Amino acid sequence: MDFSFLDVYKDSFIHGFVTTIEVSVVALILSLILGVIIAIFRISRVKPLEWFGTAYVEFFRNTPLVIQIFFFYFGLPSLGIDLSKFMVASLGLAIYTSSFIAEAVRAGIQSVNKGQMEAARSSGLNYIQTMWHVILPQAFKIIVPPLGNQFINLVKNSSILALIAGGDIMYAADEAAVDYDVIPIYIFVAGLYLLLTIPLSLAVNFIERRWAKQGSR
Amino acid sequence: MVILGPSGSGKSTLLRCINHLEAISDGELSVNGFKVNDKKTDLNKLRQEIGMVFQHFNLYPHKTVLDNITLAPTRVRQIGKKEAEKTAMQYLTKVGIPEKATSYPSQLSGGQQQRVAIARGLAMKPKIMLFDEPTSALDPEMIGEVLDVMRDLAKEGMTMVVVTHEMGFAREVADRVIFMDEGKILEMTKPSDFFENPKNERTKQFLSRILKH
Repeated sequence: MDFSFLDVYKDSFIHGFVTTIEVSVVALILSLILGVIIAIFRISRVKPLEWFGTAYVEFFRNTPLVIQIFFFYFGLPSLGIDLSKFMVASLGLAIYTSSFIAEAVRAGIQSVNKGQMEAARSSGLNYIQTMWHVILPQAFKIIVPPLGNQFINLVKNSSILALIAGGDIMYAADEAAVDYDVIPIYIFVAGLYLLLTIPLSLAVNFIERRWAKQGSR
Repeated sequence: MVILGPSGSGKSTLLRCINHLEAISDGELSVNGFKVNDKKTDLNKLRQEIGMVFQHFNLYPHKTVLDNITLAPTRVRQIGKKEAEKTAMQYLTKVGIPEKATSYPSQLSGGQQQRVAIARGLAMKPKIMLFDEPTSALDPEMIGEVLDVMRDLAKEGMTMVVVTHEMGFAREVADRVIFMDEGKILEMTKPSDFFENPKNERTKQFLSRILKH
């Protein structure tokens, strides 16, 4: 196998690797925050919030990520909003992923015994305090595995950046593929993604086991 | 005050109306000067003064016993953590299990969990305590330890509204007994009159069935 493309493109790949990590981390945090907010909208008794939450989830999880990214990148400038590639990628990935996370969080919240909400509210805690201190910690314990899946998908989906010349791992691969044999390049690139996703998988498994132990203590 | 009556007679619903866990569809209810049925009433304020103990304890499983008790005092009353923990330990001592402060609810027996739930309610220093069938989910041998705690509370003058099937407790501890059936209050009287001299036909029927065994 000829990996000589690295002699020329090493810096591109290092840069791409770092960019992929940066975009993934920002999108991961954003998608978690957005996902929780949208999940709470979805189960809200305030009808407009519920409608908004439902529309958000159904729109963003049922349309292709490529279209959403292209819309943010090519569409928004014509509306006078000019975002950097990094912003487009982070925001686009975050919004797309948050629609899936919202559904997982909603299922988690609804699987917490309703006596928990009653106990907390009857002690004078308001709705937000109850969610934050009582319901969400229990919900997250339940939804660690599906949440892990979403995070892994997010890292892999970040390869869509290559389509808007975003300077990520996949973009470096496209550059190198012009001059060199593609098979070693794609094997190398797959390895780079595994380097990110396998530790993520292990981390999710670890958290799942640790939290499970805590619950049965 | 003890509320008695057959299953499905509306005892729990009445109790849950007091702190608006159950919405009031019609009529008026005043608690502590709060109009519970009024949409403008600040329910969080109302609930700060009302402790509640549930049939299934409803302790927070992800928090230690101590954190269960201090959550509302620190977040709602804005009491410092140190002071809240000191108060929590006092109430844990009162219910007889200070040594369980750092345990998780799943490590406790049902009776212990319910006593923690009572301590949790008391820690907010409420004016009223509501008990919704506090012993119905317990093994028979643990009922006594929970009723003992409640008996002590009543002796100290705590205002308590208790939904229960424990007739002995009602008879001994209550100042007043309410008997309900099919959503209506049929009788409200002193326990001695209620058990020895019931006036309502339905009450007589209920008592004869219960006291036989």
